[in-house]
Amino acid sequence: MKARSRSLAAATVALTAVMLSSGCSSSGSSTKDSSADSSGGVVKLDFWGWAPGYDQSVAAFNRTHPNIQVTFDKTASGSKGGYTKMLTAAKAGNAPCLAQVGYETLPSFAAAGALTDVTKFAATAQAQFADWTWKQVTIGGQTYGIPVDTAPMALMYRKDLFAKYGITTPPATWDEYAADAAKVHAADPSVYLGDFGNDAYNYAGLAWQAGAGWFGTSGDQWQVSVDSAANQKVAGYWQGLLDKKLLKTDPSYDPSLYSDMAGGKVLSDVNAVWDAPIIASSVKDGAGQWAVAPMPVWDAANPVYGNDGGSATAILKGCGHAKEATEFATWMSTDADSVSNLIKVTGIYPAATSGLSNATLSAPDAFYGGQTIFDVFKAETAHINTAWQWGPTMTQTSTDLGDGLGQAGTGGTTLPGMLAAVQTKTVAGMKQQGLSVSGN
Amino acid sequence: MTTRQSLSRWLVLGVLLVTSVYFLAPVWWLLVSSTKTNADLFSGNGFWFSRFALLDNVHQVFAQQGGIYWQWLANSALYAVGGATVSTLIAAMAGYALAKYRFRGRELTFNSILAAVLVPQPLLAVPLYLMFSQIHLVNTYWAVLLPSMVSPFGVYLARIYAGSSVPDEIIEAGRIDGAGEFRIFATIALRVMSPALVTIFLFQFVAIWTNYLLPVLMLANDHLQPVTVGIVGWQAQRGIGASAVPFNIVITAAAISAIPLVVLFLSLQRFWRSGLTAGSTK
Repeated sequence: MKARSRSLAAATVALTAVMLSSGCSSSGSSTKDSSADSSGGVVKLDFWGWAPGYDQSVAAFNRTHPNIQVTFDKTASGSKGGYTKMLTAAKAGNAPCLAQVGYETLPSFAAAGALTDVTKFAATAQAQFADWTWKQVTIGGQTYGIPVDTAPMALMYRKDLFAKYGITTPPATWDEYAADAAKVHAADPSVYLGDFGNDAYNYAGLAWQAGAGWFGTSGDQWQVSVDSAANQKVAGYWQGLLDKKLLKTDPSYDPSLYSDMAGGKVLSDVNAVWDAPIIASSVKDGAGQWAVAPMPVWDAANPVYGNDGGSATAILKGCGHAKEATEFATWMSTDADSVSNLIKVTGIYPAATSGLSNATLSAPDAFYGGQTIFDVFKAETAHINTAWQWGPTMTQTSTDLGDGLGQAGTGGTTLPGMLAAVQTKTVAGMKQQGLSVSGN
Repeated sequence: MTTRQSLSRWLVLGVLLVTSVYFLAPVWWLLVSSTKTNADLFSGNGFWFSRFALLDNVHQVFAQQGGIYWQWLANSALYAVGGATVSTLIAAMAGYALAKYRFRGRELTFNSILAAVLVPQPLLAVPLYLMFSQIHLVNTYWAVLLPSMVSPFGVYLARIYAGSSVPDEIIEAGRIDGAGEFRIFATIALRVMSPALVTIFLFQFVAIWTNYLLPVLMLANDHLQPVTVGIVGWQAQRGIGASAVPFNIVITAAAISAIPLVVLFLSLQRFWRSGLTAGSTK
């Protein structure tokens, strides 16, 4: 009995010692609570993000900028808790100066008061970015960060199977897309031209292309137009294809979709630039037979394209060195070596206009039959619809919309019908946050 | 046996069968998938084996990102073993005291602990972050360890168990023999309560091992993260860029991270089964 209790006590002490020592060793690493501090003329900045490769761009910046030293800390990805962490830290007053934030989430950060207005420091950088990308980091006339990457959309398709079903040129317009969908399905009812997934952001890219905006601002007021006439037109088009059962309805990015693609049952996908490597790594069968064509457009005479993704380096609330932070963010997005690194390691498609001509983007891709696929995206970038603006309730809106898309796929609702519900919930969600909303 | 009885027996059997398939199918899928190459994951039957690549997958998991998976496992082990051990000790002491000593405010204390059982842990993560950042504990091992060291449910279980299984007579006998209160607790009560303590340890161990939100909020350093956050980070990187983490690595990493839990449950099974039931029958 005695021996037993003593060994237990010894074990407890040993354990406590282990914890104490590990606690000590880690506390030295990066427990700085202030977002930025300068000592000896060197400005120190913290940067939170999750993308691989950012740390290498940061290291390159630190080598060439002795007076500004940036520390990159890896957090969980935004939707997996990273954004919650940033917003909580902003509330606690110890947020880093810099953070990786997706365009779709930036308005939420702005509405939460978690950003620093850097309009005056960023003005000189604006010319290096396309207007529509700059608009993604500007809310209500105030700029909150620097664009890093974009995600133009295109049609990725099985060239050999298109030919097999008599499609000689990939559909250039949505009318042709609908006709080809019918053609394929008539030839073999188990084969579909494309997949209508449940990813709200992919659908947003389709609305984006059509100029069917969801959000806008006028003064301090938000406007919601998810259920507008323009959006009804987009929804009506896809509902028409769903009604005729001309599209497969596998969930987006689901293994079932990739196995249908590998099996030649789904012949194409309209998706963003970052989906090209995902298809290449997930669908091994048919390597070399795939190709990339521009996204089908509504008006062939005046082609306009959509975008699905992209992120910025945002400057968070309480940053004491907003000027230096903006300088770093601009450098990371525009410096040729940094952009090369981000393309190669992170896999971004650069937002900076100069980055589009980066040599790394001119390599032929064996999976896509040796095509230089980025040429397609580059040509589109100048014609992305400039009007799109994200709203402050994207977490909720995208969840509601994703549910609606999934239900529309199984016939539980119709796309035009569910938009009204998404609109109502979005407006209610904004009012709940205490935001001023007009429209509906 | 009447036909009605046999019918109900078949019905119960059917329900149990469906339930076990429901719970075991994902585990089976994980096991099967962790033996496949990345390409085979998307072709063929998801519930049956193709080319056996488990060893290669395991090798890749531990080589990915400079072998950081070892570090994540070690971190998880530190958080789970440290947190569960301390919280079990605290729960045992608190539960024993609440069950065996009469003092003013005892019921109030116990009721507030009971109320704490009802508060979901993720709800506390954000307030904890705000508190910890004021005392500069954010982004250290302590930020995850300290909140893991308390378990209201453990205190509740320990009190119920101590109340029903530690006889007052033994404590009295110990006092007459001249043993101090702590010695009585450490040498008699702890031993009698051990089945309940194993249960508390297991529950807390699993809760900490699978915890996600707390470390995500508290930590901003890959080398402090537990295995849950690490794997989700890899999953978010899959498919994009040259640093993409292939599916097979993510899946195998997930399968490996479940092994300690399985081993723990199997090895402590004997104790925790009696711990769960013993308290309820008395």
